[in-house]
Parts: sequence; C-alpha cells; structure tokens
Amino acid sequence: MDLFSPHLLAESGINFSTLPSQLVNGLLLGSIYALIALGYTMVYGVLRLINFAHGEVFMLGAYTSLFVAWKQGFGQGVSPDQMPQGSWGLLIGMMIISMLVCAIIGVIIEFVAYRPMRNQSRIAALITAIGISLLLQYGGQLFLPAEPPPSISEKVLPDSIQGSYTMNLKKAPPQLVADLDAAKTKLQEIKDRLVERTTAMGISEFGLPDDDPDRVAKLETQDLVNRLNPQVEEQSIAIIVPKGQLVMFGTVVMLMGILWWLVMFTKTGRAMRAAAHDFESASLMGINVNRVVVITFIIGSALAGAGAMMNAVFIRTPLTPFYGFMPGVKAFVAAVLGGIGNIPGAVLGGLVMGIAESLIVWVGYSEYKDAIAFVILIVVLMFRPGGLLGSSKVEKV
Amino acid sequence: MQFEVMELMLNKKFSLFGIAAAAVLAISVGCKPTDEPTPDPDNGGNGNQSTAIVRPLPEAQGNTANGDTIKIGLIASRNGDLRPWGIDSINGALLAVAEANANRAEGEAEIELIIGDSNSKPEEGKNAAANLIDEGVVGLVGEVSSGITAQLATVAWERGVPLVAVGATKPDITHDRGNVFRVCYTDDLQGPVMATFAYNDLGLRNVAIVTDIKQPYSQGLTETFRKKFLALGGTIADEQNYNTKDTQFNAIIANLKETSPDGIFLSGYFNEVGPFVAQARAQGIDKSVPVMGGDGWDSAEILTSGGDAIVGGYFCNHYNNKEDREAVKTFLSKWDETYGGVPGTTMGALGYDAVGLMIDAVRRADEKSSPSIIDALENTTGYLGVSGTIDLKGMGGNPLKRAIVVELRPEGQMFAKAYEGSDVVGDAE
Repeated sequence: MDLFSPHLLAESGINFSTLPSQLVNGLLLGSIYALIALGYTMVYGVLRLINFAHGEVFMLGAYTSLFVAWKQGFGQGVSPDQMPQGSWGLLIGMMIISMLVCAIIGVIIEFVAYRPMRNQSRIAALITAIGISLLLQYGGQLFLPAEPPPSISEKVLPDSIQGSYTMNLKKAPPQLVADLDAAKTKLQEIKDRLVERTTAMGISEFGLPDDDPDRVAKLETQDLVNRLNPQVEEQSIAIIVPKGQLVMFGTVVMLMGILWWLVMFTKTGRAMRAAAHDFESASLMGINVNRVVVITFIIGSALAGAGAMMNAVFIRTPLTPFYGFMPGVKAFVAAVLGGIGNIPGAVLGGLVMGIAESLIVWVGYSEYKDAIAFVILIVVLMFRPGGLLGSSKVEKV
Repeated sequence: MQFEVMELMLNKKFSLFGIAAAAVLAISVGCKPTDEPTPDPDNGGNGNQSTAIVRPLPEAQGNTANGDTIKIGLIASRNGDLRPWGIDSINGALLAVAEANANRAEGEAEIELIIGDSNSKPEEGKNAAANLIDEGVVGLVGEVSSGITAQLATVAWERGVPLVAVGATKPDITHDRGNVFRVCYTDDLQGPVMATFAYNDLGLRNVAIVTDIKQPYSQGLTETFRKKFLALGGTIADEQNYNTKDTQFNAIIANLKETSPDGIFLSGYFNEVGPFVAQARAQGIDKSVPVMGGDGWDSAEILTSGGDAIVGGYFCNHYNNKEDREAVKTFLSKWDETYGGVPGTTMGALGYDAVGLMIDAVRRADEKSSPSIIDALENTTGYLGVSGTIDLKGMGGNPLKRAIVVELRPEGQMFAKAYEGSDVVGDAE
C-alpha cells in the first residue's frame, strides 16, 4: 500500500500526505515548549521548587521585545511603509535585551520572593510562586499596553527571512504547476490593476459595474485558479516551513547546545549539578549555593526571554499580560512529562508534546489539542511516575 | 499490519467519541423545548415584516422611575479581553446621554446613566446587571458580546426590565423574551452577507471554514455562513476548529491546505485571526485564496498581527466611518469634539445608538416604568441611528439592518459593498 497516497482513510479525516508536514510542525512547536520547560526543570532540579512565575517571565520577555521594536520605529500607528528596514542586528539586539531583562526579573523574583521562603515548608514556597505569578499577570494589566493587544510588526524581519522554504516530497506534473502559477500571476495582475483604477475614484472594485471587463476577467481567472489548485494539491506532497520558524528552531538548538556545555563542562555547571544532587551537602562542600541558585534563575529566565522574543516575532501573537499562561502550563507539563529536574527530559517532553499536538489536529480532533498534553502526562506518569527520563525514586513530600 | 492496529485504535476512539457525542446530543435534545423555542428556524426571528413576531412579556414588573431623574443602566466591559469594545461603547453611551440631557424639553426628567463593569465575563455581567436593577434602573443597555448578553437577558427577564443589546449578534438572544432588543444586526444577516459576497462577488465555490469553538459567536456565525453558502450552490472544502488564545495554527493550516479551498472563512475574533492568516500565507496558502470574516475582525490591531498577509481580506461590519450619511457625520464630529479622533471600533456608534434608542423609548413611554418602556421599544419605528434606521415593531427584537463588507487595506478599512437586510435574508430557504 502506498503510504503517501492522498485521501487514504479520508472518511475519518486522516490524510497521510500531510503527515510529513505535521511532524515538522510538531517538532517546531515542541522546540519552543522545550525551551520554556528548561526553565522549570532547572529551578526544580536545584531548589525543588516549581517556579510558577516562569510563564510570566516569558510574558515580560515578549513585552520587552515589543518595546524595543517600538523604540526602533516599528510602533503602533506607524504605517508599514514608513517603518525602517528590519535587520538581523535588530533581531539579535531584541533577543539579547529580552534575555537580559528576563534574567534580571528572574533574579529579582528569586531574591524577593523565594529566598526568604527557602527554609520554610515547601508548600509555602509553592504558594508564593503562584502569588508572584498572579501578581505579575494582574499587575501587568495596570502598566502594560494590552488594549487592544499589541503585536510586533512583521517588518522587523529582514528580507532574507521573509517567506518560506518548500521541500517537495512528490511533485505535480510541471505543466500543471506552470499553468497554475501563470493563472495566479494573472489574477494578481488584475487585482493590482483594479486597486489602482478604483483607488483614484475613492471606491473599491465592487463599486464598478458587474460587466466591467477587469471584474469579469478577475472572476474567470479566479475560477481557473480554483480548478487548477486542487489538481496540483492532490498530486503533490510538500513540507513548507516559514523561514522565520527555521531560524527559530536553529536558535533553540544552539541555545540548548550552549546550555549543555554550561552544565556539563564548566565549573559552574558542576556546582549546579552538585546542588541539584544534594543541596545541603553541596553547601557543606564549599559550594556557594546562593550563587548557584542565582545562576540557575539567570539561565532559566534568559532562555524564557529568548523563547518569548522568538514567539512574539516569528509567530506574532498579540500580547496580553496573560500571554505566558498557556505556554507556561504546556511547558510545565512538558517538564513533568520528561521527568522534572532532568534537562534532556525537558527537551524530550517538549518535543513529545509538540508532536502529539500536531498529530491530534492531523487526525481531526483539534478541539482536544490542549487536552492531549494532559492525557499523555497521565498515561506516562501511570507507568513511569518519575517522567520519561526522570528517576522513579518515590519522594516523600 | 500497521494499518490494522491503527484502524483498531481509530475504531476504539470513534466509539468513545460516539458515546460522548450521543450523550451531548441527548442532553441538548432534552433541553431544546424549554431552552430554545425558535419562532422560525429558517430565518431565526429576523424574518420578513409580513409575519409579525409576538413574544411573551416578563411577568415581573421591573422598576418605575420617581423623582426628577430617570436611571438607565449600562453594562460594559471596562476591563478584560473586550475592553477596546467596552470603552468605545461607554464613550458612545455617554455622548448619547449628554446629548439627550442637553436637548431635553421643558418638564422632561433628566437621564442618569449608571455603568456596571462586566469585566468581559458573563457571570460578572450578570451580577452587575442585578446590582443596577437593585439601584432602580428602568432599563438596561449592553453588552458587546453574545455570551455576556445572554446572561444579562436572563436577569432582565427575571426582573422585568427592558434590555437593549449593543453588539450581541447571536440570533437566539432575543428569542421568546419580549423585553430583549438589539441595535445591531444578527449573525443571521452577517453570515449570509459574507456567503453571498464570497459566492457572487468573489466567485468562490469551495470554501473552508475555521471556527473558534470556545466562542458561541463564532459557532453561530459559522453556522449561518455555511447554510447560506450551501444554499447558493457552493461546497464546503473543510472545517477546522481552534480555541480562543491559541497561537500556533500550523497543524490546522496543513490540513486546510490539503483540501485546497477557494477561500477561507474565519468566524473568530481578530486576536487569533491575525496570526492565523499570517501563518497560513507563510505555509503556502497564497493570496489567490481570499480570507473573510465577521465583525469580530473589527480592530486596527488585526493589521499588525496579520501583517501584509491579511491585506485584501474582507469582513462584515455594522457601519463605516467613511459612509456618506448625515447621522454618521454628526456623530463623528461630536465624537471628535469630546474624545478626539474617531472611534476605534464600531461599538462607539452602536453604544450611542443603543442608549439613544433606550432614551427615545423612555421619552415615548406613557409611564416611566419598565413594562411601559418595553412596550415603547417594541413599537419603535424609524429611529434614525448612526448605524442605520432601526425598526422594531413586530420584528422580535431584531431590527433589519444593513451590513457592510469592508476590505482590509494597509491604511485601514476600505468600504467594499453594502447589503440591505432584505437582500440576503429570506432567500436562504
């Protein structure tokens, strides 16, 4: 049986020709979950504390990027034609500033809220974390622009990462593709001509009489495109990835590489691992655990800042003070799924969740997209209470 | 072999969902007679003038104004997700009250507007409405969203006060409640308007529909669009759902693309529609596939989040600032005088019209009591609102309004085509 034959099992809403692109989508989505999950898992590893404010750090990172973009002339109310040219320098600047601000916020939260609670019962620290999270969400409503929810203009992207890459797994007959392209070009030409003609008159194309030659031609060409498009689609299988999201994926992999090096091959990393293994003993061995905790918060929050900046720039969701809530919850689930406290586990958990979400949409149950994360979590925890890669040592809480 | 396993899994899943679906169906069918008595399912109460709709009146007697001032309540979302619309509706309402008090005839009572905050949440709106009725308002105005308005309607019915909805477009809100009215069109109009526009003016035959399943508004709009589009002879390529606040739509888009629709109808709000369209264009659904939507798109922000991708999209709106009507010009000049600029959303005009209509009814009512005002509202004919002329007599609370299709251009909304209510409603059967 040809695995890629389209419309196989079509009655059940499953179409195998979209499977490759769904897997790629899942991978891209999962990489962001993984990046945020790292922040949860690192803090938990060292402090045995679930930092519920992590999602809010993510939110503040996104806002930081927004403010940098506004400062650079991509503000609200500026017409897209008057915006400056986007550049790599701007993107990198936005990311670094966002990471810095998030790192500072993370350290402040640790110093103000968590450090005084460190010797209290664990539940007290947990409640404090929830309190900080709510404080930032609702406090943010007072200070952050959220009505209407602002978003970062696509103009911040340099030309080289506009558009998308296409990887053809199966090509439609070249003649058909050429016909379709020609029809689309013609359609666009007619549209442009109509806009040009009517703008001067202060009306839209629909103000013209129905028998206007351009309008008739437009309907005919639209019809041609509509007939050719399904034929091409049916005979081709392609993975299309926006360039921005590829950059995002590359950056996530790079950041994870840096983190791996930091944790495994530096003195600080060794101190972190020691503190994670046994906080008390590490401090007895002369490790400055306060410094380790601060560094953990710096790294975790900076990763969230990077993720937030990329999410805000490449996905371009409008920002609100609750922007970090859902990604925060998903990433937390990813961290638990992979085994909280375990760094490769967080990455694996994030990827599993991203791919699971894509696949549940693929089979046609998009309304259960958010639920699938929890279903997987429950199933995994039933068989491996410590998570996929975590130790299954039963802990007395 | 692999497939056998997969099919087995699918069967299992299907049976599970089948049971769930059956249960839901059973519940909804069970509720239907008491909950949703539709006078005429085919045109959802927005019907032809020839068949006057008679709705029952509430038993409770509401409030009666005494003294020199008459209190009117406004429920609006001062906070929360709907704030941009909420603030506009408040500003519009305040303009209407100021104007009414300035032009008051000798001996007429002063109008006092009391504003309650729904915080963009149905339950809080309900509480706020109950508080306002306790304070003695003779009538209520609000809200901009269908979900909150449905709750307001419940309270208004129990307590016997009239309710004029500002921007609630879901059809069933006015059904069988003789005290509930609205100044906006219903989804029975905007769905068919967009379907007609897509079929006749854009020449689309096979469209995909994307619904925000967390929003009753979006679901209702999807339904009316689908029905009209099928009635016109079109086909539905695919239907996909997402949840409010979703940010990543790649998976849905990959499914959509495979069905190669001629156009896409997105019935949700701009917060999700903007990124959705941007991601769809990036995934290879190019501009030869037009995107369309309802009045949930009405925000300048959609042009930032949607970017260049959404330019050329069409949506249905209540009125347009650039319309060449006297009422629009007067309203805009008053708005500019008081607040500066133009209203950011159409809820400014609709809030103005809703409160204006309520005040008009108070003036016309024989007694300054809720039942009498309900009667006056029901008998409204030819009220000249900013968003068009409003007739409510025998309409079941839903005025037959005109709807406007606008095109998104980089500089803002461009008027594309106007539809009179009678153009599209009615021939859906």
